[in-house]
Amino acid sequence: MEVTDVKKGEFLVINISGRLDTSNYGELEKKLIGFIESGDKKIAVDCSGLNYISSSGLRVLLMALKKITAAGGKFHLCCLQDNIREIFEIAGFTSIFRVFNTLDEAIA
Amino acid sequence: MVVDDEVDLEPLIRQKFRKQIRTGEYDFVFAHNGLEALASLIEFPDIGIILSDINMPEMDGLTLLTKLKELKNPSLKTVIVSAYGDMENIRVAMNRGAFDFLTKPINFDDLEITINKTLEETLIQRKALHEHDQLISIRHDLNVAREIQQGILPKTFPPFPNRTDFEIFANMVAAKEVGGDFYDFFMIDNDRLGFVIGDVSGKGIPAAIFMAVSRTLIRATGLKGMPAGECMHYANNLLCNESVSCMFVTVFYGIMNMKTGEMEYANAGHNPPYILKKDGTIEMVPTTGDIILGCFEDQPFKSEKVILSPGDGVLLFTDGVTEAFNKADEVYGDPRLESLLQTMKDFSAEKIVMTIADDVNTYAMGVAQSDDITLLSLKYNG
Repeated sequence: MEVTDVKKGEFLVINISGRLDTSNYGELEKKLIGFIESGDKKIAVDCSGLNYISSSGLRVLLMALKKITAAGGKFHLCCLQDNIREIFEIAGFTSIFRVFNTLDEAIA
Repeated sequence: MVVDDEVDLEPLIRQKFRKQIRTGEYDFVFAHNGLEALASLIEFPDIGIILSDINMPEMDGLTLLTKLKELKNPSLKTVIVSAYGDMENIRVAMNRGAFDFLTKPINFDDLEITINKTLEETLIQRKALHEHDQLISIRHDLNVAREIQQGILPKTFPPFPNRTDFEIFANMVAAKEVGGDFYDFFMIDNDRLGFVIGDVSGKGIPAAIFMAVSRTLIRATGLKGMPAGECMHYANNLLCNESVSCMFVTVFYGIMNMKTGEMEYANAGHNPPYILKKDGTIEMVPTTGDIILGCFEDQPFKSEKVILSPGDGVLLFTDGVTEAFNKADEVYGDPRLESLLQTMKDFSAEKIVMTIADDVNTYAMGVAQSDDITLLSLKYNG
């Protein structure tokens, strides 16, 4: 898994690529908590390069969503690959997360 | 600790290292032979370095080294002090586990460097030892988690030997690192069987406890005979109070009416089960789009229905099955499971579960299992 971040307008765009699973979810969790605690309230996660997510990974995204929402911010996701979208649909996450097709829409 | 039968060494060392003694950097203990040294080790267990002469009465330095080796304390280092040119004894000392050696007359600058170097090594060893202890305690925790997980699953098959109208079989192969899969089943009344499969996110003791709570809540609400969706709603609200840092559980809960063949179900974010028709074809149980349990309060959960005919079965599984990886880093996947299921016409509930478990095992041969693999098969005989 690789995680990079770049500021685009009001949003902090986080790009996750590769596999997000039990071996590395802690790394992402730490980063996300770091961003949220340092005051980033608008985060968009670009998942175009994410090709696998385990339940531990889903938990980290949920945690981030809850924390940001509680702080009055926004946590958007975009560009889900088909298999990831399917997992989101099965888990019922599409009704909880704001999922966009393109990054531009996610940070609009 | 300095071990030497020359009594005037003590004042000399105290004088040379007075600064370090004053600042608390070093602390010295003195012994005059090997026996005294061993006694002092019991009295001062914090000793990290032993600086020992070779020739001493009662017990010499080489014998002391042998005894120290028996203590098996990797964070205790011995530096041997010997006459210049006494290579034979020095070699023996090194072979018996001495960390380093110094020659007499002692060069105090060299001694200080040696002490510091050895102390550094000792500290690293102690840290490693500490971490090792922590690892052991974590392993112990994992065993506790495993016991919680295993202890809660019904494991007697057939569970209802008097029933001929259905058969049920389930199996969980736990991953090395304990996850939180579970299955459960129970008779709600004479006609209705409740059956559950679940997968808790995360691992270790928190996941095992969360799993135990989930299972108990679903069983308790299920036994009241509430509709499947209502059970999920109720369990979800209670689990939301238990959930720390968004731990969640995906659950499929089915209620099979053996009299009518109707299967009512609710699905809280779990991967959809398959229906294995009597004629060998398969169908996926339609998803409901309802969310996982334990994270968002007051979510709606639908109760859906499908009708099974005698000879049909239903297979519940967790993503440990379809997301098992092989050596080439490819997932087992739904298509492989589906084509395997299509070969299972007339299989018993047990044979269905074991055949899939074997196939996943063969597929993932040589790759460490990263997630629990859980399967539950129900066959409706009518």
